[in-house]
Amino acid sequence: MTFLDHLFIVVFISLIAISALRNLRIVDKLAPVLYGLILIMLVRMSSVAYGGDVYLSSVSLDLLDFKMHWQFTALSWYFAIITVVAALASAVFMSGDWGRQYREQGGNYGMLQLALIVNVFSMILLLGSGDLLSLFIGWEFVSWASFLMMVLSPTKLAKKSAVKYIVYAMTGAMALMVAIVMIYSVNNSLEFKQIGEVFTQMSTSSQLALVLLFFVAFAIKMGLLPFHLWQAIAYAETPGPGAAFLGAISSRMGMFTIVLVIVQFIGLGGLKQLGISFVNMQTLLAWVAALTTIIPTYIALQQHDAKRLLAWHGVGQGGYMLLGIIMFDSIGSAGGLMHVLNHASYQAALFMTVVAVMYRTGTSDLNKLGGLVTQMPLTFLVMLIGIIGLAGLPPMNGFVSKWLVYRSLLVNGQPLLFVAAVLGTLGTILSVYKLIHNTFLGQLRLEHQNVREVPWSMLVPMLGLSIIVFITGFMPGLILPWIASVQESVGLPVIAHHLGGIEYAKGGLDMIWVSGILFYGFGVGALIFYFLGGKSKRVHQYDNYAGGHFLTSDVRYHYSNNFYPGLMHLIGGWYRGSFKWLENSIVSVVSFFSIFFENIYRAKQPVMLLLIGVVLALFALYRNLGVGA
Amino acid sequence: MNALHLMAELIFMPLIAFIVGMMMVLMMRKIAARLQRRIGPPFFQPLYDIVKLYGKDTQISHGLIHDIGIIMAVGGYIGAEILLPVPGMEGIAAKGGVITLSYFLMIPSLGMALGVGQCANPNGSIGISRALTAMLAYDIPFILVVFGAAWHYQSTSLIGMIEYQQMHQWGIVEMPLLAIAGLFALQGMLGKQPFEIYIAPAEIATGPMVEMSGKYMGGLFVMQTFQLYTAGVLYASLFLGGGTSFLTLLPKAFLVVALPMSIAFMFPRYKTEDVIRILWKWPVMLALISLAFIL
Repeated sequence: MTFLDHLFIVVFISLIAISALRNLRIVDKLAPVLYGLILIMLVRMSSVAYGGDVYLSSVSLDLLDFKMHWQFTALSWYFAIITVVAALASAVFMSGDWGRQYREQGGNYGMLQLALIVNVFSMILLLGSGDLLSLFIGWEFVSWASFLMMVLSPTKLAKKSAVKYIVYAMTGAMALMVAIVMIYSVNNSLEFKQIGEVFTQMSTSSQLALVLLFFVAFAIKMGLLPFHLWQAIAYAETPGPGAAFLGAISSRMGMFTIVLVIVQFIGLGGLKQLGISFVNMQTLLAWVAALTTIIPTYIALQQHDAKRLLAWHGVGQGGYMLLGIIMFDSIGSAGGLMHVLNHASYQAALFMTVVAVMYRTGTSDLNKLGGLVTQMPLTFLVMLIGIIGLAGLPPMNGFVSKWLVYRSLLVNGQPLLFVAAVLGTLGTILSVYKLIHNTFLGQLRLEHQNVREVPWSMLVPMLGLSIIVFITGFMPGLILPWIASVQESVGLPVIAHHLGGIEYAKGGLDMIWVSGILFYGFGVGALIFYFLGGKSKRVHQYDNYAGGHFLTSDVRYHYSNNFYPGLMHLIGGWYRGSFKWLENSIVSVVSFFSIFFENIYRAKQPVMLLLIGVVLALFALYRNLGVGA
Repeated sequence: MNALHLMAELIFMPLIAFIVGMMMVLMMRKIAARLQRRIGPPFFQPLYDIVKLYGKDTQISHGLIHDIGIIMAVGGYIGAEILLPVPGMEGIAAKGGVITLSYFLMIPSLGMALGVGQCANPNGSIGISRALTAMLAYDIPFILVVFGAAWHYQSTSLIGMIEYQQMHQWGIVEMPLLAIAGLFALQGMLGKQPFEIYIAPAEIATGPMVEMSGKYMGGLFVMQTFQLYTAGVLYASLFLGGGTSFLTLLPKAFLVVALPMSIAFMFPRYKTEDVIRILWKWPVMLALISLAFIL
């Protein structure tokens, strides 16, 4: 028995235990303990993340003439630890008062717990896959597990978006299966390393088809353009902590497989040889990534609902991950990989703050909130740390990974991609300011005067995550060894790092210094503010200057539509929903054909069809016999 | 770098920035006055203003975040000054580089936005919406300029860029179009006409500053001194060869800051959408053409 077997056993036992006990109150206390155990199992395997050997599972399944097996590489471990920490935080978050309220409101709490552990189980299974067949099985498990979590919400929209998701996911699974069959048909083997070997033996058109099939499958999971439409609404409609978990890591399984298959086995050389003149596959994917950062970010800017706003940013941030990894150099790929962890940490924290606000106020509508900072200061703090991370400003961890991506684009001489990345960041700043302004700043509504801070069971995971956001920003060197191991295991150039950041010729980054300088600046700023100035007087929120008018509780000004009117005058015309139009037209075409075939199948004159069929069959038989004779 | 030197940098870099920044404020007000055939304020007027604002009896606070916003606005710039190398003091600046510096410059905007948001004044929120939109507008050409300069000098460290220019030629000679694009972005960054809608004096009652009194306004005033200094020195380091001593650096920085003010009165005040339209069109185009030459 290896450590990996222990991990699988613990995850499986957790799955059984939670599914058996899910309707009892004890599951509240049990679930966090079980995730803690899984985490311990993972930590025992941490040597793999510091350049140690790959963990192989002693379990294998014989299937026809093929042996299906599982393994844990540095890449698997890196994604697994993010998954388990996100699950642990979500489980703690829902274990206390949130879960009680959810039950009282008629939610199926037991199913939510079950959905969470099923997700963790299937993700670990996917991450541990050792060949293409186990990868495909894990992939299917993950798709259905996410679906299970999404359909828990009672709203019609949630059900609809979950179904939409599963249609997308199945399309991706088909693409993946065709790609796997293509590989199998050449060498009759499903080992990962066959991908690289088969790829070199193929003709250019088959290579192109293979890369596209793999990419489509993975891009759908990750919500990359043009397959981004399913994700945001599906995640936003998922109940509370479930959304935090899904938003943090679920769609990053697509990133995992991109690194596992495309980066590792097809590689830069493979991508570059596919293409005409200066447009090759790498350029194409880089632009897919760039547009994925821009378009969903600016869609997020127009959202009225806090959860949807965050979910759209989740789609957008996926673009940075791909943009980094597709550069194939040490800093870019490190940035892309690191962004997975960074994004998971702040995204989970941000979703939890929104759920916390919903817990107290019952809404996440940005038109109906405001001024909550005085009532929920700690939640505000978590959201502030989270949005600084999401916007990628120093000193939080989002800055480090984005810095690495920017630096890589600079080194590779990609000004347009660089501008696209910055455009995404600036759009994010605008959008997250709207989020924090409409939730926590400005006028406190009368009906929210008695709102209190959320209980500790919810605060602890939020604060824990925001500590991760800060610490991994302050000392990226805690994470960078893991990244370096991942890079080594998939054959990318390895980043040179130290505790504070990276060493790079002509301009590195040392976050300990950068954060130190920033906090020194804040300290001096605070000294100037508190000791050099007169004493300030706190006034009531309505006690302010409004050009001769008086502000009262009737005069409300929190609005989220066209929060940036100047910008919207200019770019508002671009929100034409072209992708929605495209999706709808594909749906129409497919349903047209399905109606057509359905009508043939269930035609009014089945005898007529039978006759035609028999005649055709006889004709074919006759031809065959004739040829044979 | 020993501890003493470090202390000196931590203390003197922001202090110098503050003093030079106040002189720049004075210069700009003098230029504005002379263009309008006035005499303009006396030498110590910026200092008097700051002392007066900090010392006022009426200091209205709308809550902790209002205070923290001002602290972030000033503190972010103090941090940025330390990352901005000047002759004799460039030890810490090497830890960040120009990309980090560009992102540091967004922190004061975010701080100010948070502070204004907490004031619960609709006019303030409108002002912030304009200010952030303007940031989106001028940062795109600015970041292109930074990219071009970093690519040309093959370094993201400002120290490396200055060294390159002192060995070869000034950036403005080698990349004139990029330098012009930089000046364009600078006009927006400093909030001078025609890109002044979010901080225009006539818009006080409907801008971000509406609820700022006493030391809050004073904090923003201090922030402005830092902002002018940063813009001047950064531009001088990117395109005018920096300087081997303050005697060669500061005149360039003053010149850079004087330019936007000198031409400001020729323009009207543009609407926010026009600010974006212009800043995303002309300087971006210039920068892209210039990049085509550089790359």
